[in-house]
Amino acid sequence: MAATLCRILLPKQGWLPFTQCVRHGSKSVTRHKRPLHFLKQKLMSVTRYIPPPRPAPIGAYPRQTIRDQEDDPFTMLVKKNLKSVFQESKMIAVVQNSGSTADEMMLLKYKLHKHGITVKFFPNQVMRSFLKDSTYSNMAPLFIGHTVLFISKEPKVKEMLSSLRTSRHMLLLGACIENTLLSAQGVVSYSKLPSVAVVQGELVSGLTLLTSQTAAMLQRHPAQLSALLQQHVKQQSSEGAPKAQEAT
Amino acid sequence: MAASSKVTVVLKAVKKITVQFCPFESNVGSTRMFLSVMSSHKVRATNLNCEVIPTVKHDRSEPVVEITYLDGDKLMLKGAKLDCSEMLSAFQSMCAAKELQAKLAAAKK
Repeated sequence: MAATLCRILLPKQGWLPFTQCVRHGSKSVTRHKRPLHFLKQKLMSVTRYIPPPRPAPIGAYPRQTIRDQEDDPFTMLVKKNLKSVFQESKMIAVVQNSGSTADEMMLLKYKLHKHGITVKFFPNQVMRSFLKDSTYSNMAPLFIGHTVLFISKEPKVKEMLSSLRTSRHMLLLGACIENTLLSAQGVVSYSKLPSVAVVQGELVSGLTLLTSQTAAMLQRHPAQLSALLQQHVKQQSSEGAPKAQEAT
Repeated sequence: MAASSKVTVVLKAVKKITVQFCPFESNVGSTRMFLSVMSSHKVRATNLNCEVIPTVKHDRSEPVVEITYLDGDKLMLKGAKLDCSEMLSAFQSMCAAKELQAKLAAAKK
């Protein structure tokens, strides 16, 4: 209404009008939403309030951990394989491989295959989860980084150590020989042990030493035996006399 | 993995690297990674005269990396509480300083 009432009066040429209409044209308060000036529109969009994301209420989504605990079929297959390996083989050595080439690996595999030792690779995660559930849980810290398993049915430690000595990149960490976990030094000392037959013979000879000596003495000539016994009695009596003197 | 970053390790100023650790301890991961990086083909090719000597112990000792440089200096990295990337960055900064010293010495001559 003010706009319609504003009129420019120019009665004579050269005269300034009495009223100058400042507000004219568009209204500020409208029934529809007035389009904003472009700069104001930009400013409003840049400074728009973005509320922080609210967490979902407890119990809205199922837990993710249950999904992770289930093993996928490949892991189960590898674990089955591992179980059979641990059951059948007497020697399982863990070796760290630090940058050996394919040629060196091939040569090593060939050398070990001649003695019946197989070289196997298993993923560390699967290995660790398998060992956690089995009785070999103390081997779990060995499996970090690039590890190789040397498996054999017979504990052929000397041949394994000789082939590892020649290869520069393979480092023996530990071994499980006949269900006993050994460190690297333990494996070396195991290799220096004599064979079972020799050890058994030594044990038997140690136990039967005294009885065999007695049997040999009794089998000698009776005159020698009586002379030995007389000497023994003399020694005992001479030992008994000084002890009685010391007591008094 | 931080060990396989684009920055390669150059062993030109290094004479010998000795790594000793006990594999049954739980704090040896970073030391073993460091050893695998140092023993890799690329890094060894930068200096064929440099020896990398790993030692496996079983005495509950802490993992230690000892680096001997050509001018006799030694750098000891105790890997029990260090990350592999931290060890690598410390080693590389020392190597870079040594190389700079060598360059300056060569330029003076």
